[in-house]
Amino acid sequence: MVAVAALLAVTLLGAIATFLVDDRYAAKFATAVSTIPLVGSVWMYYVYLTEYQGVGNALLSPDTVAFRQTIDWIELGGYTIQYSVGLDGVSMPLLALTGILTTLALVSSWTPIDERQSQFYGLMLLMEVSLIGVFSALDFFFWFVFWEGVLIPMYLLIGVWGGPRRKYAAIKFFVYTNVASLVMFVGFFTLVFSLGDSIATLGLPEITQALVAGEMGSLAGIAVADLKLLAFVLMFVGFAVKVPVFPLHTWLPDAHVEAPTPVSVMLAGVLLKMGTYALLRFNFTMLSDVATGSVLAIMPVAIAVIGVFSVIYGALLALAQRDLKRIVAYSSISSMGYVILGLVAFTPHGMGGATFQMISHGLISGLMFMAVGVIYNETHTRMVGDMSGLADRMPWTVGIFVSAAFGYMGLPLMSGFAAEVFIFLGSFGATDTLGTLAPVLTSIAMFGIVIVAGYLLWAMQRTLFGGYELETDYELDGAAFHDVAPLAVLLLLVILLGVAPDLSYGMIQEAVNPILEIGGGV
Amino acid sequence: MIPTQYYLLLSAAVFCIGIFGVLTRRNALIFLMSVELILNAANINLVAFSFQYGNLSGQVFALFAMGLAAAEVAVGLGIVLVLYRNFSDIDVTEATTMRW
Amino acid sequence: MTAFDYAPAIALLPFVSFLVALFGGQYLPKKGALAGIAATAGSLVLSAWVALTVAGGQTYNEALYTFTAGLETFDLHLGILIDPLTALMLLIVSFIALLVHVFSLGYMNDEGETGLPRYYAGLGLFTASMLGFVYADNILMAFMFFELVGLCSYLLIGFNFREAGPPSAAKKAFLVTRFGDYFFLIGVVGIFVTFAGATQTPGLFAGEGSFPVVAEHAIVDGATEGLNTFGFEPQTWFTILGLLVLGGVMGKSAQFPLHTWLPDAMEGPTPVSALIHAATMVAAGVYLVARMYGFYALTPTTLAVIALVGGFTALFAATMGVVKQELKQVLAYSTISQYGYMMLALGSGGYIAAVFHLTTHAVFKALLFLGAGAVIIAMHHEENMWEMGGLKDKMPVTYYTFLAGSLALAGIVPFAGFWSKDEVLYEALIHGFGTEGGLGTVFLVAYAMGLLAVFFTGFYTFRMVYLTFHGEARTETAKKPHGVRWNVKGPLAVLGILATTIGFVNLAPVKKLTGLEVDFLHKWLLGAEGSGWEALLTGYEHYEHVLHDGPAHVLVGEPLGATGTLIASALLSLGLAVAGVLAARSLYKVPEPVEHTDKLGSIKTLLMHNYYQDEYQVWLATGFTYPLSRAADKFDQGVIDGVVNGISSVSLFSGSRVRRLQTGVVTNYALFITIALVVLLVVFGLTGGWF
Repeated sequence: MVAVAALLAVTLLGAIATFLVDDRYAAKFATAVSTIPLVGSVWMYYVYLTEYQGVGNALLSPDTVAFRQTIDWIELGGYTIQYSVGLDGVSMPLLALTGILTTLALVSSWTPIDERQSQFYGLMLLMEVSLIGVFSALDFFFWFVFWEGVLIPMYLLIGVWGGPRRKYAAIKFFVYTNVASLVMFVGFFTLVFSLGDSIATLGLPEITQALVAGEMGSLAGIAVADLKLLAFVLMFVGFAVKVPVFPLHTWLPDAHVEAPTPVSVMLAGVLLKMGTYALLRFNFTMLSDVATGSVLAIMPVAIAVIGVFSVIYGALLALAQRDLKRIVAYSSISSMGYVILGLVAFTPHGMGGATFQMISHGLISGLMFMAVGVIYNETHTRMVGDMSGLADRMPWTVGIFVSAAFGYMGLPLMSGFAAEVFIFLGSFGATDTLGTLAPVLTSIAMFGIVIVAGYLLWAMQRTLFGGYELETDYELDGAAFHDVAPLAVLLLLVILLGVAPDLSYGMIQEAVNPILEIGGGV
Repeated sequence: MIPTQYYLLLSAAVFCIGIFGVLTRRNALIFLMSVELILNAANINLVAFSFQYGNLSGQVFALFAMGLAAAEVAVGLGIVLVLYRNFSDIDVTEATTMRW
Repeated sequence: MTAFDYAPAIALLPFVSFLVALFGGQYLPKKGALAGIAATAGSLVLSAWVALTVAGGQTYNEALYTFTAGLETFDLHLGILIDPLTALMLLIVSFIALLVHVFSLGYMNDEGETGLPRYYAGLGLFTASMLGFVYADNILMAFMFFELVGLCSYLLIGFNFREAGPPSAAKKAFLVTRFGDYFFLIGVVGIFVTFAGATQTPGLFAGEGSFPVVAEHAIVDGATEGLNTFGFEPQTWFTILGLLVLGGVMGKSAQFPLHTWLPDAMEGPTPVSALIHAATMVAAGVYLVARMYGFYALTPTTLAVIALVGGFTALFAATMGVVKQELKQVLAYSTISQYGYMMLALGSGGYIAAVFHLTTHAVFKALLFLGAGAVIIAMHHEENMWEMGGLKDKMPVTYYTFLAGSLALAGIVPFAGFWSKDEVLYEALIHGFGTEGGLGTVFLVAYAMGLLAVFFTGFYTFRMVYLTFHGEARTETAKKPHGVRWNVKGPLAVLGILATTIGFVNLAPVKKLTGLEVDFLHKWLLGAEGSGWEALLTGYEHYEHVLHDGPAHVLVGEPLGATGTLIASALLSLGLAVAGVLAARSLYKVPEPVEHTDKLGSIKTLLMHNYYQDEYQVWLATGFTYPLSRAADKFDQGVIDGVVNGISSVSLFSGSRVRRLQTGVVTNYALFITIALVVLLVVFGLTGGWF
């Protein structure tokens, strides 16, 4: 199947073409181009839903993976580098999420981006190329190229089109995540070298199967168990930065605050999911025995504690903020903490829920950032104290904002609720990995739903309701249709997934359940 | 038959003179000459060892090194000229505008 | 086709009216009101049909929509459970919702309010959520609609968002109930996880394989196979789960200490208050306890907690109602108090009494709120009772219906409230005497508090009536009240008649005294012999069995004999109610009443401040959590981000120092090279063994 290759190629060509287009037409041109990967990924999603049954996990049963394509490329250091792509129930929804969010983010850039348009839109499309690659690549070399390839457009997008402290934020983002990649890289190659001759390629499925088969040997006098632990910790730290997890999260609020709205949408909606996606693939699939504590018994509890702490800590930080964007940024940390908790629970609903939360949070946080962006475009401020009573002037935007906020709070029949309930159902009874702490940790994490309601309702009360006032000297003339339309689309998707979670949850469960079967087996 | 050690001692002496010149002099031309001395010290070594092992490649290598040295002098003198043009002097310690 | 095939439409019709009002309300003649009326009328008709079918002995318990099909784990689904309790509640909810919609025509449309499509959309969604909650067949679905009910209350309480008060009250209502729901959610998740190993359908309310039944087998028969009780004794763990779910109940049903949102919720439009208090949100909590009563009846500790919380709340809220100056505030505290009675009844084994009181209360509280709404229209949105007076002659329909509702609330024979409240207290009393050990004592304590509250109820109710309707008009507005139309009077009249008569559906005392078969509700909830209901195991007969034979051992004790106890209990509660009414009459039925509250001294301050309950809860939010979050923010910015920035500063600083090596003097570079060469030679020499 060349579907993924076509997706990559078309998007890349579109990105290059966008750089060459005149600024005046760049926005519409790029949006038109981005509909190709959008339609493509949604079509693939549909094909996946209707035609692929029993795909399983991409790393554990590579022969049944959907849209698989493998071509040998070069020999490098004794390993064959392959162009190898394929999608399973974890990556398929994330790919569709990328396609959908990119197009919507591009539409939402029409208003705020008013200089160097062709470069902006070109970089956005370039980022989409890398994102598609990250979620579909099954060879480490390619995967890593795309993984790093996301950083460069992101760095430029924040650094050139960002707010007043954009340089600080962009450099912080780049250096932080790049150092993290290095750490992860070291961890991964610890695994590769200790596998020795048992692998001939850097294909992720092959490495996984070699690891599961126990092919690992000692390296430089270090025992296998210690090597595994080392690799696990290094990779966890590397990916945790991207997620982000306390205490490696401080790049996130700065990046979000400085980034222009559409970039924030992509950052929160898709880029953070790269971290959890990689955690799921590398730490929790390849090294599932370490993740379940069969090497170091305290490991799952330690990770769960970090996740739960992130939930509460992120929510508390959000409560203290005055900037709407910072509120949403910190609440992302909180939401991603649930993902960590779900993953480490290592139960069907826990892992499935964690993956579902990636999709759900991608949609909802994208929606929230877009809604904040629309308000900012109109009022030119994001500070809670600078405005009140906006509901009076922009009822539809505020209506969607309120709906999105309730989605964030986990209102039933919206996707956030389904995701959180799945995670809680999974982690509450995860006594195999978390012992008797499972219900306790889950209950503590659940308190996040109270705090999130607290800060969102409080912020809404002060900005959206009450008498109309605006500190900045701008007239509210109502948001344009193309500003509000992406919000409505996202809201409908959130509700759709909330009412019918099985649209994604079915394939997710198929993909994560095989992981559970190999867990703990060394 | 002169023992190889003598050649090596000569080479070491020439090398040290060259190093001394590089470290103590400020005139660019003397610099260049000192560098030539260092290079020739290496050439002496090449020829001496070639002689000892009865292998010609060392001597051939020395010829290449001499050719290279000639080319290097051309470049070096060019640098000296540019140095003089920019700083009205050929004192190498003056030309520090490229530091930090 | 049976009625059950149309059951989903009961909740879907109001949902459609929500959509119609939201997106098309602007273009409709009454801004969506008519769609709402049509939809709730449709729901009412369908509910009635369902109730008739249930009366014929049929029940329904089906999963209709698979929310998610679990792979190697349990499914989550949405389904419908219809038993007599559900059928009754469906009738109540759709009936009250219909009347509230009609009343809103007078209260909102005729008063020229703006934002009406939003209002009717909110009402529609509110009704739909509550109906969905009522016939939810599993606890997760119940939780989902429970939360949606919370959302709707937020939207409707904050309807007048341009003012400062309503958004704040809406936020408080949602947050406080969310706090309760937090525990509920833990309970829901815990129930699923606990019972997943023992049954295919761990969340189900009714039938074999539902969690109350599995729990019963575990405790009574010791069948604990597959249960995951986290190392606790089943009974201990079920107690914990029950108490967790109870958190949600206490939030929504405004039980102490989570009652504080309810008085503030009076910021919403009055018809919304009627809907919230009579039939939807506040009723949801109590209904949930009744719904899973089989589970609660198993654990004596939860029963005791429910009874105590109920009894205490009944008394506690009634005392606060005594000093309030605003009409709706008095009613708000009376609501809290009345739901306390229902909890008291449920806790002390009076399941039928609780459902009975839920029914009568729905009618008379809707009546009182709508009556208050009529008064507020007349008074041009003035709510302070001290600004009213003498309205009796100017608005007779409102007065007489309001009086009927007040008599019912106060518990004066033969109005509805008397019968239900009397049964609540009677059940608590006889179970208190009959049950051995601490549980019986708890019942008696709760009974005593409930009994005392009867006096206060009579007092504050009639203080309200006298201040509002009797005496001289105290302001200009009160002298010339604004008239109300049919759409206000109609619902009032209907409810007024019902408030007078609905008590007759369950004349249990009369049956006991005379043997006449007039306890219809009792029979309804007991379930007909041989009906399809027995398999669901949600009938009172089953609960009675659980209460008697389970660990709680709730038994009946009648110290004065059957008839004597009955009459003594009735006389006691009636006497106290009448005493309260007379006390109010003597103080306030004068031409120019004055506030007697000053005589209470410092107690007045305490009562006016609602026992400082709001203060400490606000302190928890703004005095504790917010400073904590500020501290966390400081920590994050200072320490965590400080470390990150510190690393970059250290790098920058060391770079700025190290770069000084790059002097630009070629000689220095040559020196470095030479030194490095020497060092290398020495190192190689030392390690290579040259020396």
